[in-house]
Amino acid sequence: MSHAIAAELFKLRTTRTTWAISLGILALVAVISVVAALAGDYDADDESPAVDLLAIGELSQVFGLVLGILVVATEFRHGTITPSLLVVPDRVRLVLAKLAVGLIGGFLLGLIVSLVCAALVLPLLGTRDVATGVDAGDVARIVAGNAVATALFAGIGVGLGALLRNQVAAIVGALGYLFVVEPLLGIIPGFSDVISRWFPSGAADATGGGGAFNPNGLDQVPGGLLLAAYTGLFVVAGLLLVRRKDVSA
Amino acid sequence: MTAIDVQRLSKRFGPTVAVDDLSFSVDPGRIVGFLGPNGAGKTTTLRMLLGLIAPNTGTATVEGKPYAELDDPVRTVGAVLDGGMLHPGRSGRNHLRSLARGAGVSDARAAELLELVALTGAADRRAGGYSLGMRQRLGLAAALLGDPRVLVLDEPANGLDPQGIRWLRDFLRALAAEGRAVLVSSHVLAEVGQTADEVVVITHGRSVAQAPLDELTARAGGGTRVAGPDAARLGELLRADGAEVAQDADGALLVRDRTGEQIGRLVAAEGVVISELGPVGSSLEEIFFELTGSSEGPS
Repeated sequence: MSHAIAAELFKLRTTRTTWAISLGILALVAVISVVAALAGDYDADDESPAVDLLAIGELSQVFGLVLGILVVATEFRHGTITPSLLVVPDRVRLVLAKLAVGLIGGFLLGLIVSLVCAALVLPLLGTRDVATGVDAGDVARIVAGNAVATALFAGIGVGLGALLRNQVAAIVGALGYLFVVEPLLGIIPGFSDVISRWFPSGAADATGGGGAFNPNGLDQVPGGLLLAAYTGLFVVAGLLLVRRKDVSA
Repeated sequence: MTAIDVQRLSKRFGPTVAVDDLSFSVDPGRIVGFLGPNGAGKTTTLRMLLGLIAPNTGTATVEGKPYAELDDPVRTVGAVLDGGMLHPGRSGRNHLRSLARGAGVSDARAAELLELVALTGAADRRAGGYSLGMRQRLGLAAALLGDPRVLVLDEPANGLDPQGIRWLRDFLRALAAEGRAVLVSSHVLAEVGQTADEVVVITHGRSVAQAPLDELTARAGGGTRVAGPDAARLGELLRADGAEVAQDADGALLVRDRTGEQIGRLVAAEGVVISELGPVGSSLEEIFFELTGSSEGPS
């Protein structure tokens, strides 16, 4: 198993896409953090403005999802799944190695993005004499929460990639769900509370720990457990499918 | 032990029968050519052997086990399958290293193989720019990572230049001489004809022949050619003996159902004079077309 994980880690870091996604989200979060921290209006009665701003780091979650999809679907797209399966013929083992790598990659991505966000937001607010309203413990909780949420989203991506195997379909489907389907479902009266509490994006917000955008969400730990359950569901479904599918290209 | 054993293997894709009750085997130290026109089911068979496609019925085993159950697949079987199978953005060296890592093989071994297939110079370029021949050679390097006892190659000569094909042929012979079993598929008979010890010919997913190449040549339309001043008289003697004899425009005989030795004894006994006696066979291409019933033109 350790060989398989080593191989998957190596594959992940030897493609440009991985770095483009990681640096892209890092730059995006950095710019938004700086702009928001410098230009935002803060009322004196806002108790913790930093919590809102630290939630910018949660943007890494969607990128983690895409990264997870790519870990599996890229192999099917370019046919490298064939040599990969010749080396690791046990498909369950191969997908679990990919899951491990997705979780590691997602965790690091979420961690670094949130750290960069915090490192920009907190001092910048300080220069404006805005009271951040958070202590070191809050910051650690939010950073760690986003790292876990991004890792679990990447895990969902691995499951989804195995389920669909088509890179474009998986990415378009996942983003379409998050940015189109969920908001549309939210139009149904009363349903938006259900979504923000029980659906994957709501669970991810809760895991992120900011709670800024999602006052209705679960607490951090139950949110994390719910998100982990979603990850497990997608991975098991993906495994069941990949195990019996013919690989002919 | 048999290196590769395929027994009553069948595979349908929807209504299409790709492989139909196919059986053959490959022994260690032998090169077996796996021949058939395009679409005959060769690739499907090889993918079933490698655990990539699940057969509907039958078994395909390597050293007695299905591929997925091998203890150490990379050190048992090396395979080159048809197609690109490279991430275009990853260098050839990194492609090989990623597989080496999965197999627990060192980077040094990967570098050694790149040298062997003459790719060292291009190894650090993105694989998207590789020619078909370079992809094939990289695939061969990947197949050899674990120094396997069995090699499975699907159309390995595709994209190779004549020099490369010759190199491959010598290379496969050397591997077989070391006791390895080699199964090599092709739709071009001549390519395999000079390398293989025996051939398995399939068409429409069914085996139409498995035999040593010379036996196949003799079986299909061959015979013994006899020419010389007394050929006509010898022909009469043979016919009188019940042999099937044809005579061409130059007076030479083609004897179907007597061995060269039997004819030679008759020549000695009767004191007839001949100048030529030897086996003839149909050309490999003719046999191939005859066996596969292929008349769809060049493939």
